[in-house]
Amino acid sequence: MICRPALTRGSQLALRRQGAAKLAQRGFAAVASPAASYEPTDITGVKVASRDDGGPTTRLAIVAKAGTRYEPLPGLTVGLEEFAFKAGRPCCFNRVLGPKDAVNTQKRSALRITREAELLGGQLTAYHTREALVLQANFLREDLPYFTELLAEVISKTKYTTHEYHEEVQDVIHMKQAKVDAAAIALDAAHSVAFHNGLGAPLYPTPSTPIASYLNENSVAAFAEAAYTKANIAVVADGASQTGLSKWIEPFFKAVPSTSQSSLVNAASKYYGGQQRIAKVGPNSMVIAFPGAALGANQPETAVLVGLLGGESTIKWSPGFSLLSKATSATPGATAKATNYAYSDAGLLTIQINGSASAVRKAAEEAVKALKSVVEGGVSQENLVKAIAKAKFNLLSGSEVSGTGLVHAGANLIHGGKPLQVAETIKALEGVNAEKLKAAAKTLLEGKASVAAVGDLHVLPFAEDLGLQV
Amino acid sequence: MPIAPTLAPAAATRPWLMKLLKPLAGWYSNAAGYRQMGLLGDDLISEENETVLKALHRLSPQQSYDRIYRIRRATQLSLQQKILPKAEWTKPEEDVRYLTPILEQLYAEAKEKDALDTLTVFKKH
Repeated sequence: MICRPALTRGSQLALRRQGAAKLAQRGFAAVASPAASYEPTDITGVKVASRDDGGPTTRLAIVAKAGTRYEPLPGLTVGLEEFAFKAGRPCCFNRVLGPKDAVNTQKRSALRITREAELLGGQLTAYHTREALVLQANFLREDLPYFTELLAEVISKTKYTTHEYHEEVQDVIHMKQAKVDAAAIALDAAHSVAFHNGLGAPLYPTPSTPIASYLNENSVAAFAEAAYTKANIAVVADGASQTGLSKWIEPFFKAVPSTSQSSLVNAASKYYGGQQRIAKVGPNSMVIAFPGAALGANQPETAVLVGLLGGESTIKWSPGFSLLSKATSATPGATAKATNYAYSDAGLLTIQINGSASAVRKAAEEAVKALKSVVEGGVSQENLVKAIAKAKFNLLSGSEVSGTGLVHAGANLIHGGKPLQVAETIKALEGVNAEKLKAAAKTLLEGKASVAAVGDLHVLPFAEDLGLQV
Repeated sequence: MPIAPTLAPAAATRPWLMKLLKPLAGWYSNAAGYRQMGLLGDDLISEENETVLKALHRLSPQQSYDRIYRIRRATQLSLQQKILPKAEWTKPEEDVRYLTPILEQLYAEAKEKDALDTLTVFKKH
């Protein structure tokens, strides 16, 4: 414990107040963090997860089971993502804005969608993960009907026209492909050797991936038809009232079909492990990956291990306590970061190292040494407390600062799970002890790893050089 | 007005007028002479124009190829001061508008953009 005189008066006060808050809490019937978790409901066949903190802005997202894992042909997910909010031909010049008129559902052009969203101060984004395609709108609370209608229209009434594909979609995809860097390629390669198909599909195809023969407006339209059905989507709302949602989702999502004739590729994930090395000019990247924790899996020790490995310093002027940041402080020019990528039926715990080739090599060796030190020497009580606190913060801030929380809630719903139960997960994290952590690290090192090296292969090490089994 | 002003829609709503004008229109199209050179009506739209160029990009590869073939053949015929043998003349039922619908779509897009650029917002809520 830190001795009291070492603390400033401010922090002493804060500590005292914390105790006082605990005392005050004891008096009330415990309500376990009411706004922290998404509440799942079903509104006329549409799966909805919502959370309302009464704030002035709302984030509404459609999370569709159309991530790269489910694409039948390479590149279709990115095609569908770029086609979002481009909705066919212009019409109806005298449309008036406002919730009353919004009931007259008509097709809008991409330009009209942009201009109307701008007038209402909204933000429209489309992005994808390996499992989900997310169409998100952030807007002022009172504009819920307009954006509910818009999102429903985008998934049910978009026209996948040839000219829009050639004039707008294709160029954007080429530009984004050119931006795929060594770090992204290494992460994709690690997923590819870890899971082969499904989750192993690249998140964004590189310029050398042959997608031209698979990706066109017709294949994208067929994929949209299979993916945008009531069974495959979830609507996630953060900051919208339950009554508003049930009032507006019902009429606007009527046009979304409940099932589709064509089904999505859906094979269970299996972990293989292995090694891949890709020569590339420019920055270097290495990913060392192990089987991790799936979404909703009861594996709190993985989250704590990620907190312990850490990597990026979260406080200024100090490398921090985490093992990876200590390891990389000796190797200037390289950064390392541990992450657990959680998917519906599998997870991947990765250590990603970026930087110059020689620094990456040294950092990779140090990182594996750090992991081995957890197995051999265990972890000190102080570091364990810090790692648990970090894991708790990661979880809570992830679910609170929307983004990951929104996507996870939706992904859980479309895969038939429950949204993250924050209070229970926190309790599980607090129950992790040094022994459990040691055992978890041991199983990782004894199992097969997935190692990907991208960059200067003359310098970057093989998995065997690092002492990993592949 | 980008597309030539026309009374055709007004005539189409009045069957008696349509019946009266249709033979006249047919006679006019034949007399214009482009069908004798194997062209379609939409081949005559001048392409020195941004919008038409964009519309031409939106044609399918087959349509685009056929268009170029017809124009080259007509240029050759014009050079030789000839017309095609009668069997190869464009038949009235073959003379479809393949470019006009795309042009109309492009003009509608431009009109919508213009309307949105100069719009006045009345807040109803």
